[in-house]
Amino acid sequence: MENTAAYVPVETDFRLKNNAGADLIDENFAAQSFWKDVFIRYFRKISAVIGLILIVLISVFAVIGPGMNEYTYSGQDLSQKNFAPRIIALEKFGIFDGSETMRTTTGSKEINYYTEKGLTDLEYWFGSDNFGRDIWTRTWSGARVSLIIAVAAAIIDMVIGMSYGLISGYFGGHVDMIMQRILEIANGIPRLVIVTLLLLVLQPGMLTIIFALMLTEWVGMSRIARAEMLKLKEQEFVLASRTLGAGNFFIIFREVLPNIIGPIITQVMFSIPTAIFTEAFLSFVGLGIPVPQCSLGSLISEGFNSFTTHPYQIIPPIVVMALLMLSFNLVADGLREALDPKMKEM
Amino acid sequence: MKKYVGKRILTSLFTLLAILLVLFILMQLMPGSPFNDEKLNADQRAALYTKYGLDQPIVVQFFKYVGNMLKGDLGVSYNISKNTPISQLIQTRLPISIRIGGCAVGLGAVIGLILGLIAALKHDTIWDTLATIISVIGVSVPSYVFALALSYNFGFKLGWFPMLFSQQDIFGSSVLPSVSLSMFTMASIARFTRSEMLEVLGSDYMLLAESKGISGAALIFRHALRNALIPIITVLAPLIVDLMTGSLVVEKIFAIPGVGSLLVTAIQSNDYNVVISLSFIYSAMYIGIMLVVDILYGIIDPRIRLAKKGD
Amino acid sequence: MKKAKAFLAIAMAATLSMGLVGCGGSADTSAPAASTPAENAGTEAAPAENSGTAPAETVTAGTMDLNVMLETPVESLDPQQATDGTSFEVIANFTDGLMQMDADGQAVNALAESYDLSEDGLTYTFHIREDANWSNGTPVTAADFVFAWQRAVDPNVASEYAYMLSDIGQIKNAAEIIAGDLDKSELGVTAVDEKTLQVELNVPVSYFLSLMYFPTYYPVNEEFFTSCGDTYATSPDTVLSNGAFILDSYEPAATAFHLTKNNDYYDAARIRLPGLNYQVIQDSQQALMSYQTGALDTTLVNGEQVDQVQDDPEFMAIGAGYLWYVTPNIDAVEELANLNVRLALTYAINREAITADVLKDGSAPTYTAVPMEFAAGPDGSDYSEDQTRYADVCAYDADKALECWNAGLEELGVSEITLDMVVDADDAPQKVAQVLKEQWETTLPGFTVNLVVEPKKQRVEDLQNGNFELGLTRWGPDYADPMTYLGMWITDNSNNYGLWSNAEYDAIIDECTTGDLCTDAEGRWARLYDAEKLVMDEAVIFPLYTQCNAEMMSSKVTGVEFHPVAINRVYKNAVKAE
Repeated sequence: MENTAAYVPVETDFRLKNNAGADLIDENFAAQSFWKDVFIRYFRKISAVIGLILIVLISVFAVIGPGMNEYTYSGQDLSQKNFAPRIIALEKFGIFDGSETMRTTTGSKEINYYTEKGLTDLEYWFGSDNFGRDIWTRTWSGARVSLIIAVAAAIIDMVIGMSYGLISGYFGGHVDMIMQRILEIANGIPRLVIVTLLLLVLQPGMLTIIFALMLTEWVGMSRIARAEMLKLKEQEFVLASRTLGAGNFFIIFREVLPNIIGPIITQVMFSIPTAIFTEAFLSFVGLGIPVPQCSLGSLISEGFNSFTTHPYQIIPPIVVMALLMLSFNLVADGLREALDPKMKEM
Repeated sequence: MKKYVGKRILTSLFTLLAILLVLFILMQLMPGSPFNDEKLNADQRAALYTKYGLDQPIVVQFFKYVGNMLKGDLGVSYNISKNTPISQLIQTRLPISIRIGGCAVGLGAVIGLILGLIAALKHDTIWDTLATIISVIGVSVPSYVFALALSYNFGFKLGWFPMLFSQQDIFGSSVLPSVSLSMFTMASIARFTRSEMLEVLGSDYMLLAESKGISGAALIFRHALRNALIPIITVLAPLIVDLMTGSLVVEKIFAIPGVGSLLVTAIQSNDYNVVISLSFIYSAMYIGIMLVVDILYGIIDPRIRLAKKGD
Repeated sequence: MKKAKAFLAIAMAATLSMGLVGCGGSADTSAPAASTPAENAGTEAAPAENSGTAPAETVTAGTMDLNVMLETPVESLDPQQATDGTSFEVIANFTDGLMQMDADGQAVNALAESYDLSEDGLTYTFHIREDANWSNGTPVTAADFVFAWQRAVDPNVASEYAYMLSDIGQIKNAAEIIAGDLDKSELGVTAVDEKTLQVELNVPVSYFLSLMYFPTYYPVNEEFFTSCGDTYATSPDTVLSNGAFILDSYEPAATAFHLTKNNDYYDAARIRLPGLNYQVIQDSQQALMSYQTGALDTTLVNGEQVDQVQDDPEFMAIGAGYLWYVTPNIDAVEELANLNVRLALTYAINREAITADVLKDGSAPTYTAVPMEFAAGPDGSDYSEDQTRYADVCAYDADKALECWNAGLEELGVSEITLDMVVDADDAPQKVAQVLKEQWETTLPGFTVNLVVEPKKQRVEDLQNGNFELGLTRWGPDYADPMTYLGMWITDNSNNYGLWSNAEYDAIIDECTTGDLCTDAEGRWARLYDAEKLVMDEAVIFPLYTQCNAEMMSSKVTGVEFHPVAINRVYKNAVKAE
């Protein structure tokens, strides 16, 4: 009898899947709102927090930086051109002492214009450019212009792209067909052609650049909005709303939109660095912000000509731009994970 | 399926025709004229307009152009290389652009894939952040600065690679431009791979596979990556087209006789025919690749085919 | 023919600090052009028509190609279609005209063995060399010139430089043919026999011979042209050489191409370079790095890089001939119609600062309407040598500027003025414009300038249509005579952007081109100054500087000749040491 007894499983027969962390799913959380949840998840991610801090820091400097010394972004002093960076407080450490080593075709030479010209009290924190303008001031006012352009373009293209995608996805059928063909045509023409043309037709300036960037960036946004709409439009809450007599546009913008705000914000965060970058490219082609105003892009393309002669002129705008690009990417990644419920369990 | 493909091809052709028309209208809007040299007077300009048929109404110009295009005649350049048939210009330049663009996409895709994989597998660790930083750093610096820095260090100082493109040493002189161009692809692929992989790794079938006892490399490569790869390929395709025309900065710096710099010069000097032809080729490649991707997608994933039918 | 003054400007770095003299100061490094007769003896006999093979080594000739950097690709190799300096330079490498420039820029015989000028100065008869052949073996004949010149004025060809034959060359019937009133066969040029070319002019043209080295006047072989169809001059197979070199690798708008010495050139003994290797590099830093590695023998340097190279003995500033100036829209803008405002603007410009601190390429501040160093007078001196000639109306003087400014404001009854200035989207003009803006705004209270940056084609259109307030522009000389500038400001000229009009000025210019002074060199010269004075007194333009290019030239290379007019670089006497 005892021999025929059924095998009774014991605990050691089973081995846990190698995901000890997954056990924590069962932990109890206090009920909290969606956004609070997002907030907590976001700040748990260090890289995302660093990104946010950097963006805030750069934005603060973009506001107060140009006013921190007596120079203006356009004030020239041709007698003080190409001065290397100098911060008197740091001089004793052997850095920022206003000297530079210039690599000439006949050998390197050490130059310090401050001592050469006897300007002992003069400081250019980031150096001066080839017109004798202060690079510190120009870098931060450039950052300001770039940020304004990028954020404005991203927000406007969000509004347009989102509406376009939502409407196209919601109505479907012929409306969708026609709207998608138009989009295909817009997307099929090289961006460069459209942007350049716009910049040539309209008065060059910040608004035109924003407009041009917006025109080329809305396509990606509308794709995402449309895909989300296709996913959601057959769901019960939409049907319920419709049954209750809601109009089409009420459903699109009041019912569906709040549910897709996550991916949209993420996309905006990704499109800001793209806009900064495109602006830099336009500056290089000679279609950027009109001189003597500056953006990070135009500063880089100005400094580019002195790249091998006075490298310190290109470094500040490049570093600020690289940090901005990186931070926006980190923030976007963090946001996406914080907002995306699927990632919640990870 | 056949009907779907046929319909897609037909709409693509109509889209292309529409693009051509839009391009023509855009050219009309362009300020300035191709013949705006200080040394030209009004009579001569009028003579040149007549010579190239630019004084005719736009509709006539358009249909003439379409007619000529069907015969393989893309017109002549007005400025960049006076009176040279554009087909001749493109014949020599497009292959160079495609070759360098292709190398760049290949290189960028491989490195991007690796970085994306590392980031996803080591999610939320320092490796993840590091991989993100590496992939973003390439696009944080404008490509012309990056290209010049490469050229200065590896071309001038170390002398490993030629600084300028040359027909005699196509392989060696393509290295630096390809690397500088690959940065953008690398960043996009890394980011996309990371998010796709995260999604796949979190899916139920991965849990199933894992509980079946599959582990390690087999799990990642056979189950996860394979499923993540399909969407990655679809973002890769348009990148190839972008790189072929978007390489103008790198072309300028490395003196590559490609089509990217040609397009920019053409736009700035109002060389209408060159702008239209190059833009059209770009559009055709873009739409062609999208078409292929769409059809392939339909073959691979029946759900999409059905969804398309439903539209 | 007026004696064109020497303009071989291989000015060393010192020139930069020389202020007014600028790129003019010349230290001649060119090797003597004399060729040794033994040189060409017994070299290969077979015509090297378009062959890509390296030439056989001649005894004293160098064995290494000269590597030359170009900033822009060639636009056209068709001599009647080309308009830019790059194309001209390359065309001149493989095509000779009736005349060529010697090292000093004077016209000397090339394809023409000799010429006769009729008593009345209206008929030139050129005798073409017997040994001048095209690279396919056919002789260069007078008919080749007739064909080419008829092409140049043919309205169907619509050559941009057609006016070189009509307005400037004054060849009989040229203007009527361009206008479409006469057939091109009526052009006043005839092939008397195979080697004799006769040219009839409307009026005596003092500088006519110097036009003969301008590429628009180069010959084209009709038979070969016809056989190429539409593809003429788009590949090595579709160009014929009659000059020092043969094009052996080229594609339209190529970034690299090559020319080989033409051993059948009638003057082959003089040519000591085995070939020319051209490389187009648009990025100046890449160019300088390539130069430093030895891949280039000569390259352009941008202003920022001058700091890097100015101590180098291989660095030099080469006169480019261009006058940069600001043109005010006198006709359409009320504020600029006021003479005091215009004078204030020109007084407020510190030209020295622009050239010395910003451009740094050796460009010379200019205070005259005609730039320096390209046109020499009957006595051989430079037309614009005296830069203080109009000092009372054109100089840097902040006090006078302010005085005029206040007077102008009072006359206009305003307290501030805001003007737009259109500027090319290129590097140098944008730099200059930024300095101008700063100088004007700091010197003249209440003045605001907005810079409108546009691609060049659009900028030109805006200027020509009068759609501007202030414009920063430039003009390069087409021939070595002040008239190439002074002819611009006559009433209704398409380059008189400000639409300034002055009957007295028109009369003087008329007198000097087609009137009584055509044959009186000295009298004409004096009258030209009268005309220039009118332009300066009325501040029709604000001249800024005469452009120079900063270049590096390897110390191994000697004998490259630089000219501000027509063909910028000539390599016929160039030698590259091993």
